[in-house]
Amino acid sequence: MLDALTLLRAMNGIHEEDVVMAGKLYFNENTARKTTKRLLTLALAAALLLALGAAAWAAWSIHISRQQDLRTDLKIEENNAGSYMEYDVTQQEKAGSAASLVLLSAVNDGEEERIYVDVSPVAKEDIARFPSDVRFAWSIAGTEIGGFAGPQLPVTLSLSGDEAIRKAVLEYAYDEETQTLTLQCYADVKFLKKAMADLDTDSVPLQMHMTVGENDSHTFGPVPFMLTEEQNRTFDFGHAQYHDEQLDKTIEIVGLELTPFSAVWKVRYEEAASFHAPGADPEAYRPWSMLEDRVCIDAKLIFSDGTEFSTGGALTCPYEDGVVRLHCGWGPAINIEDVQRIVLHGLVLWENT
Amino acid sequence: MEDREIVDLYWRRSDLAISETDKKYGRYCRTIAMNICGTKEDAEECVNDTWFRAWNRMPSERPTILSAFLGCITRNLAINTIKAKNRIKRGGGEAALALEELSECISDGKSPERVLEEKELEKLIERFTADLKETDKMIFVLRYWYLVPVSDIADKLQCSQGKVKSSLFRTRKKLREALQEEGLCWTH
Repeated sequence: MLDALTLLRAMNGIHEEDVVMAGKLYFNENTARKTTKRLLTLALAAALLLALGAAAWAAWSIHISRQQDLRTDLKIEENNAGSYMEYDVTQQEKAGSAASLVLLSAVNDGEEERIYVDVSPVAKEDIARFPSDVRFAWSIAGTEIGGFAGPQLPVTLSLSGDEAIRKAVLEYAYDEETQTLTLQCYADVKFLKKAMADLDTDSVPLQMHMTVGENDSHTFGPVPFMLTEEQNRTFDFGHAQYHDEQLDKTIEIVGLELTPFSAVWKVRYEEAASFHAPGADPEAYRPWSMLEDRVCIDAKLIFSDGTEFSTGGALTCPYEDGVVRLHCGWGPAINIEDVQRIVLHGLVLWENT
Repeated sequence: MEDREIVDLYWRRSDLAISETDKKYGRYCRTIAMNICGTKEDAEECVNDTWFRAWNRMPSERPTILSAFLGCITRNLAINTIKAKNRIKRGGGEAALALEELSECISDGKSPERVLEEKELEKLIERFTADLKETDKMIFVLRYWYLVPVSDIADKLQCSQGKVKSSLFRTRKKLREALQEEGLCWTH
C-alpha cells in the first residue's frame, strides 16, 4: 500500500545531480542572503550555457545585465529594499515559450506593482519611431485589464524632446544584438487583484503589446505573473496639527505609510470632503491644495547618517473615510527601516526614541 | 580533501576515512538527519550509523557523488528512525509536516490498483522531477528530499513563502496526476 512515508522514501529516486544542486544552495552559508538568488541565477545560467551553447547565452546575458542595472539604478541592495523581487531569467528562456517576454523583476510599492520585463524581437526601426508613433501597453490575457508601459530608463535621467528620448531608449533600454527592449509597467494592485479574482488564480497571464503606427500590433507573452509582497512601515503621528502661518490654515497629519518606493500621507482638514468631492472647483480650495503640497514636499524623512528625503508632491489624493490619502512615489529605493525622524518645518512628527 | 581521496581511504580501509568524511560531510548529514528526526540525539545516531554503513558499502561500491551517497544513507536511516519511534505525527518535526503534505498525492482509502516496487516508484519520481521547471524542482527537492522548512526555502531562494507554497502545491498536484496514471491513487 502506498503511503506518504513510502513516497517520502521514494524521493531517493531524485537524480543525484538535482540533490547536489539543491544541497549546494541550502548549505552555502557563506553566500550573503541578498546575493543568494543572483548566484543561483548565475549558476543556472552557467549550467544552461554549457548545455545549450553560446547562442542562448546572448539572450540570457542581456536579461541578467538588465537585472543588474535595475538593482543598481533602483538602489535595491544599497537601501535594503526587501520588496524587490527578481525572476530567474534562465528558466524563462529555457522554458522557450513562443512568448518573447521575459520577466526581470517587480516591486510592490503598496498601490502599484512596478513590473520590469524584456521583450523581443523589437526592430531598431520601430524604436526610431518612438515615442510619437510607437506605443507600449500591458494586459492580463482573458480580461479587459491593462495599462500603459514604457521603455525603462535610468530613474535620474531628465530628458526633453522626442530625439533625446529616442537616443536614451537606444542607449539604455535597447540591445541591438538581441533586439531586446526593456520595459516597465505600472500596474494598479487593485486591478491585478481583480484579474486574479476574475480568472480564479493567483498567477495571471501577463502580456505586453507594442503598436507601431495605427494598425501594426505585436503581442509578447503571456507569462505567468504573481503579485509580489509589499514591504512597508507605518508611522502614527498621534493627530499632529500643523499650522501654516502664511496660509493661516491648520491641517491634521494623521500618519504616514511608507514603502521603499512610495508614501501615503494621511491628513484631515475641515474642508477636505468638499474639496475632494466630484466636480469641486480646485481654485476655490487652492489654500488647502497648497497645504497638502506643504506636507508632501516640505516634510523631511531624516536618516541615521543625517541625510534628508522629501517624498515629493502627491500623484493622487483620494478622500476615504474622512481622511485624504496623499500618494507619493519616487524612483530609487530608500531605506525605510533607517528613518530616524520625520519633521515638517519646526514640527517633529515622529522621532526614534 | 577531494571526494575521490576520501573514497580511496575507504577502499584502503584507512581509519582516516571516517574522520575525513565527518570533517567534510558531518554538518551536511547532521542537518539532513536533524530536519527529519527533529532531535539532536537521533540525528547524531543517524550520522554515526551513516559512517558505519558507508564503511560497509565501500569498497564494494564506489560512489560517483559522495555527498549524495552519504546524504541518501542518512536520509533513509532518519526516516527509519522516525518510523520506528512512531514520531510521524504533527508536531514531530519537519517530516510530519512534509508527510502530511505528501499524503495529498496519494490514497483516498481505496485499495491500490497495483503495488509498485520501491525501486519502480523511485524511477517514477526520477522521471517526474526531471520534467519539472528548474525552480519548481529546486523547491521540491529542498522540501521533500532535504525536508527543509518552507520558511528556509523562501529565505534561500529570496522569494515569499507564498511563492514556495504555491510551487509545492502545483508540483504535488502534478505528482498526484503522475501517480494516478500509474494506478497508484485515485480521483475523488
